Amino acid sequence: MIYFYDGSKDAFLTAFLLAYNDGDATLTSGSAQLSIGSQTVFVQADFSRARRAEKRLLAIDKGSMRDLSVLLRSGDGDRDMVALDYFKFLAKTGRPVREMLAEDCVLAAAECMRRVGNEVHRFHGFVRFMETGCGALYAPISPDNDICDLLVPHFRARLPGFPFVIHDVKRKKAAVYDGEHTFLAPLDRAEIVLSAGEEKWQALWRDYYDGVNIPSRKRLKQMRGYMPVRYWKFMPEKKG
Amino acid sequence: MISESKLKILTESAKYDVSCSSSGSKRKNGGGIGNGYAAGCCHSFTPDGRCISLLKILMSNDCVFNCKYCMSRADADVPRVSATPEEICELTIDFYKRNYIEGLFLSSAVHKSPDYTMEQLLLTVKKLRTEYGFYGYIHLKGIPHAHESLVREAAKYADRMSYNIELPSEKSLKLLAPQKSRESLLLPMEQLRREKVAFQEEKHKGHFLPAGQTTQMIVGASPEKDGQIIRLTQSLYRTFGLKRVYYSSYVPVVRDPLLPDMPTGELREHRLYQADWLLRFYGFDAEELLEEDGDLSLEFDPKCAWALRNLHLFPVEVNKAPVEVLLRVPGIGARSAYKIAEARKYASLTFETLAKMRVVLKRARHFITAGGKFYGSENSAAVRGMLSSGVRTPVQMSMFADGQNALLSDFETARSALTGEL
Repeated sequence: MIYFYDGSKDAFLTAFLLAYNDGDATLTSGSAQLSIGSQTVFVQADFSRARRAEKRLLAIDKGSMRDLSVLLRSGDGDRDMVALDYFKFLAKTGRPVREMLAEDCVLAAAECMRRVGNEVHRFHGFVRFMETGCGALYAPISPDNDICDLLVPHFRARLPGFPFVIHDVKRKKAAVYDGEHTFLAPLDRAEIVLSAGEEKWQALWRDYYDGVNIPSRKRLKQMRGYMPVRYWKFMPEKKG
Repeated sequence: MISESKLKILTESAKYDVSCSSSGSKRKNGGGIGNGYAAGCCHSFTPDGRCISLLKILMSNDCVFNCKYCMSRADADVPRVSATPEEICELTIDFYKRNYIEGLFLSSAVHKSPDYTMEQLLLTVKKLRTEYGFYGYIHLKGIPHAHESLVREAAKYADRMSYNIELPSEKSLKLLAPQKSRESLLLPMEQLRREKVAFQEEKHKGHFLPAGQTTQMIVGASPEKDGQIIRLTQSLYRTFGLKRVYYSSYVPVVRDPLLPDMPTGELREHRLYQADWLLRFYGFDAEELLEEDGDLSLEFDPKCAWALRNLHLFPVEVNKAPVEVLLRVPGIGARSAYKIAEARKYASLTFETLAKMRVVLKRARHFITAGGKFYGSENSAAVRGMLSSGVRTPVQMSMFADGQNALLSDFETARSALTGEL
């Protein structure tokens, strides 16, 4: 059976209960290759069933809902199946399985969560704010995983006096800190008026970037390994 | 705003300083801008493969000292500029709030006199902390021969301070950096160590170098052997409690009859970092790694070389060996050793499971058994051949400098060269 769901936590937990004893289950929030004769179900989030599954999983492993939240943020194509297999194994084992890395499903989930966590860490460095006319900071990003709200606590802690917007242009949403509260909002396109000094500071940053490089040691492959080209789009030092 | 040309000169002169880490400080935001990030954070990477974490800049490149290897030495015919404390502060704040940098790495040539220079540095960091309300990371270079009260005061504002030991022996220091003496570098290090201990014991409010001290030395500008360098490193860690010792392989920026014309191989620098990591995280002693008058093998990484000299200790069983022993297996790093120790609680590990867990077995398989099975080679000569990096002798290395660069451009090697991970 193929189970379609919308990628939300409650729909996942509902589908998890439905697919629990289905050894042949395919769970997906994207598209799936349908073969002749395959049966499909569109799973709607069911609040009470989701709570039942949540309660059961939490009783087994206190960290299970945190794991689920991370897994569902992953941009990996197979993340739904990875999550389903992981939670099935967790429920069948009846105790936390996080460290049982010799199991395929645990390892796959660990790798998937590691990639999300790594990208959050990378973006703590790679986010580039622009100063807007009103003094607020605006940063467009296009990460592999759905992480823009996970970046907020870090920047809020270090820039408490600056309202900021971190705009995931790929997923068309933005994490906003208005100086007091943080929230997530859908955002398609943002009209930005830059502050008077912004261009100059960006130019100065480019000068610094060029100056600090040692040209006799060319290691482009290493640079791209640490800072993949897909992240360059919003970095002033890599534009122009 | 600092001018473009000034920024360029002050950056160009600071860039050969290796240290760029921003880790070790948990300074909290107290209402201004910034905080410490204990794990450290890289913000960008330059085409030379190095990271930009801190704004690395000199206060001034106008130097009264005449260290032979330095591009800012008094004799050099270069344009001289100095930045004002305000220019540095403003630059730091504006870069920081755009998330370009994790903090400031402030150094300086010895401008006018050591005390004057240290006063300027102190004035800048104090201003940055108190007037500009900056709570981000600050790494401050110590100026040798500056008065100890200035050093003490600076330590209250910086997260990390470093005195560069510059050269691995007093003799070379006298020859190449005549105005710096061993005492002028080691005494402030000892002063800061002592005062930090006192500060911690008295539980003062505020900060005193939360990220500790580091140092740096140039490798290859003088004739010291790796054995001496690693022993010096070990004693720096043990006596002064340094957080890091950085090595910078010598790059000729200045011609001088006392200095070599050729740059030092980066593979040598890489091997030193590998040995440094073994001292700090893998429980090795310098004495186990090499003789005092010897060099590290270029052909094998230091752990591999040690294991090949101690084949009687291997193979070890991954399902039973204590973590300290696993850490000594070539190819098994700290992360893999930890993963093995966790996973084996639940299931007996085989080579297949190790491979799935991404434990690199290329080297390790010759030194371990998994569930009693051994997949390595019994023939020690064959093992040597398989593990050899292909670089044989130092003579060959300098002849084929390109070949050696090609080796480091391989991503894995290059990455481990940067992080020092084995």
